[in-house]
Amino acid sequence: MKNKKMTALLAGIFMVGVSLLLILMSAGQWPSQARAKVTPGTATVSPPIPAMVSAKADNGVVKTDWKAPDQEAAKLRANEEVPFVETFIDECLLCRQQKLRDQGLSTKDIPNTYFLLDSPIIKKQEDHYKPVRFMHAKHAAEANDCAVCHHYRPTDPEALETTRCSACHQESFKKDHPERLGLKAAYHLQCMKCHQDMNKGPVDCIGCHAKNVPDHKELVKLPANPAPEQVTNECLRCHQEAGEDMLTTAHWLWKGPSPNTMEHRKEVRHGKGTDVFNNY
Amino acid sequence: MELSRRNFFKILGVTGASVVAVKGKARAWESKAPPDPFGCLVDLTRCIGCRKCEQACNDVNALPKPDRSFDDLTILDTKRRPDEKTFTIVNRYYPGKIDERDQLIPTFVKIQCMHCQDPACVSACIAGALTKKENGTVHYNVSKCIGCRYCMVACPFEIPAYEYFNPITPKVMKCTFCFDRISKEGGQPGCATICPVEAITFGKRNTLLKLAKKRIKENPADYIDQIYGENEVGGTSWMYISGVPFEKIGFNKLPSEPMPKLSETVQHSLFSYLWSPIALYGILGGIMWAFRNNGDNTEIENNGGAR
Amino acid sequence: MSHQAYPLRAKLWTPGVLVLSALMAIGAVIIVARFIGGIGYVSNLSTARPWGLWIGVDVASGVALAAGGFTTAFLAHILGRHTYEPVVRPALLTAMLGYTFVVLGLMVDIGRSWAIWKPMFNWNTNSVLFEVAMCVMFYVTVLYIEFIPAVVEQFKGKVNLPGLLGKLNAPSEFLMGLADRILGKIMWVFIIAGVVLSCMHQSSLGSLMLIAPTKLHPLWYTPMLPLLFLTSAIAVGYPMVVFEATIATTSMKLDSEMKVLAPLTRITILLLGLYMSLKIGDMVIRGTYVYLLDGTAQTNSFLIELGLGVILPWLLLLSKKVQTSRRGLFITCTLIVLGVLLNRINVFIVGYKPPLGDSSYFPAIGEILVTVGLIAALMFLYRFIITYLPVFSAPGKEVSS
Repeated sequence: MKNKKMTALLAGIFMVGVSLLLILMSAGQWPSQARAKVTPGTATVSPPIPAMVSAKADNGVVKTDWKAPDQEAAKLRANEEVPFVETFIDECLLCRQQKLRDQGLSTKDIPNTYFLLDSPIIKKQEDHYKPVRFMHAKHAAEANDCAVCHHYRPTDPEALETTRCSACHQESFKKDHPERLGLKAAYHLQCMKCHQDMNKGPVDCIGCHAKNVPDHKELVKLPANPAPEQVTNECLRCHQEAGEDMLTTAHWLWKGPSPNTMEHRKEVRHGKGTDVFNNY
Repeated sequence: MELSRRNFFKILGVTGASVVAVKGKARAWESKAPPDPFGCLVDLTRCIGCRKCEQACNDVNALPKPDRSFDDLTILDTKRRPDEKTFTIVNRYYPGKIDERDQLIPTFVKIQCMHCQDPACVSACIAGALTKKENGTVHYNVSKCIGCRYCMVACPFEIPAYEYFNPITPKVMKCTFCFDRISKEGGQPGCATICPVEAITFGKRNTLLKLAKKRIKENPADYIDQIYGENEVGGTSWMYISGVPFEKIGFNKLPSEPMPKLSETVQHSLFSYLWSPIALYGILGGIMWAFRNNGDNTEIENNGGAR
Repeated sequence: MSHQAYPLRAKLWTPGVLVLSALMAIGAVIIVARFIGGIGYVSNLSTARPWGLWIGVDVASGVALAAGGFTTAFLAHILGRHTYEPVVRPALLTAMLGYTFVVLGLMVDIGRSWAIWKPMFNWNTNSVLFEVAMCVMFYVTVLYIEFIPAVVEQFKGKVNLPGLLGKLNAPSEFLMGLADRILGKIMWVFIIAGVVLSCMHQSSLGSLMLIAPTKLHPLWYTPMLPLLFLTSAIAVGYPMVVFEATIATTSMKLDSEMKVLAPLTRITILLLGLYMSLKIGDMVIRGTYVYLLDGTAQTNSFLIELGLGVILPWLLLLSKKVQTSRRGLFITCTLIVLGVLLNRINVFIVGYKPPLGDSSYFPAIGEILVTVGLIAALMFLYRFIITYLPVFSAPGKEVSS
């Protein structure tokens, strides 16, 4: 019985992994050389998820010099400062779509599949959230239309048809271009408007941003071999509210026999509040 | 008696003439608004109610930390007003519009000092602790304040709050327009800097007016044709544009006359060069002289003095 | 025709005075609490309602009801109707004490009492309040100067301070002699100044609210507010004198001053009539009578103010029977006094309804106790001063001379 379930679960995970891979491949997310190297067995772990890598490095659990190449490339791109585009051609969406089609440009021609939405322009003003990781190719595939985001083009005929956001949108409230949105607002308005219209994708802050969590290495002060109570105490030193909230959750309050717990269904004591020694 | 009467009329004549002369000099009321102030344009169609402006304001002005975190959006369920610990707040309204999924569309309204062009509080302030600066700020100088709270009575937006629980040195508390920040070249108010969607556009008021008109003209379906603060109480440095009528989202209807106009006109036409008190003094003196023989005239001089 | 004022020398510590003392003590405790915990600790004042009972009653009503001082001074000294002399000093005392308590009330109400001198050096001539403050400051000084003769009369040549203070005997005597010699000659300067200053700030108290057209109910908000404040202050002057003189003479078991008071009420018919016609005319011209039957607390308060506080007493005054009856006169004058009191409360408290914030306000028990305490202190001082200083005159003497 138990074994059967486990196999089903594993099979499920595998299926999800494969289908994910297929979706990503069809979306043209992966550069062809990368695609060749990928084997189904490693598919679920091999996409370089920057957060994972960096988090591990921070914790000092995994020490390695290897860095995800596209993450590094994205960081470099995010740090580039693009010359400001003073004037642009104001075209309607349809005209623009037609123009792109005439030039034979489509969502398949994307050179950079992954962006880190960050810029010295934004850093100059504030730094409350970590930059958003933006799957350029995935979004392009979803929309299948460059013009919805690359809405205008610079007047300069030499310029690329689809320039970067930060070419036109830079500092907020520029004196000579009061109507021009700053980069941060341009990102937010574009992303959130589309997510709302499509009824798809996050519209809240932490849906896209990881919060700028301060490094707890310096904050946490514990003896060498702390007792469990000491650890809890140390957490509560700052997160008192979270501690109080915990007391109102099922984790704490849960009592009585439950049909949903397999081996403990006759047990009356379940919540942390009743059956855990370290319960203050 | 006859002599005194003649004297009396002489005095009357002299005072009357001086009254006319001075009255001619008393000019009509003139606005003291700065010509090119900074301002902010709040586009309510953009505001998403994230309360980041409240957070930035709290940080920039070193205000006490609130009981509930700025990430807690359930606070929007109640209507709030700025107070002595909060210079700006965001309220949520449901003016009745619904989206394609039949959900009520909220409109978020940020409230703070409007930094009027001809502020009532500045006119009211007994000691000139409140002043309208050239850069548009309505600035509070606590060292002149006596705590009479007439500014709070006068403010048509009910913005100034008071530290009622400070027994000896309470202050009037209101949005500073980040005076110190915007006084520096390129400086911006905290709330405008942090706003993720540029619902707050900072710039020169004249530029912002043009910008607002442009936005309304180019997107007539998205905006109602009114800039709140363009003409209200003679114009304010902070202005709003909105997709729903302002009455539905907590804005009160205000006259386009600056608030201080009437009271200052009355005060100055009565008291410039103290002409009316002087005239009244002259007239009363004349009357007193005229009636000095009425009854026992030693009475006045002896008033209490001799027994 | 010379009349003579004398100290009443009655028993001071009557049961009534003991009650006053208790009220004063309670008020003092609350004032101490205000200076420890802050204004918010003892009051219900808020962002939307920055002015409450203390400004509405202690200050605005206090100033209005002290109008007897300048109206009687005008009548007796400027118009030279010396028959009214006997009521001048009581009215002057009321005004002096009234304004003293206006200042004390302000000290409690303003947030930085210690900074009250600052407007003298930081002029904002656009501010109505600045003008009011300056006028009140000068007028209080004038009132004290006008009252000096009563003190000099009593103590000149009799200064005998105990112990160490004895060294001050000679200088005090000198000062009093000086005051006696000089004041008589120049008193007219202060008498006229008192009337002028009163006219200025009585009207300007009304101008205070001109800056808040969206907050004051249209039944009261009118550009004529300063004129209405001035005319009502002038109209309430004599009734206030009648009111307090009747209470004082009854309480101190003196002969009534009906002879003087009755003619005062005839002038009042004119003055109150002027106020009434301005008030009603203003309402008709601005068309605000449409609000009268709204039935809200505000409109009802206006109806009471106008009906019971202005029209009814004016009609009563017309009747001969009322004019000659001490009781009738007292009741009528009380109505007028209450009417003006209610007008000030209406303008500053009831009619003041800011549209945006939480505009609900009812004075906290602390505010009420402070106001009651201050009024009790005023009454106590009044009684104290008429007991020991020459304020009331002997009615008999006036007839004989």
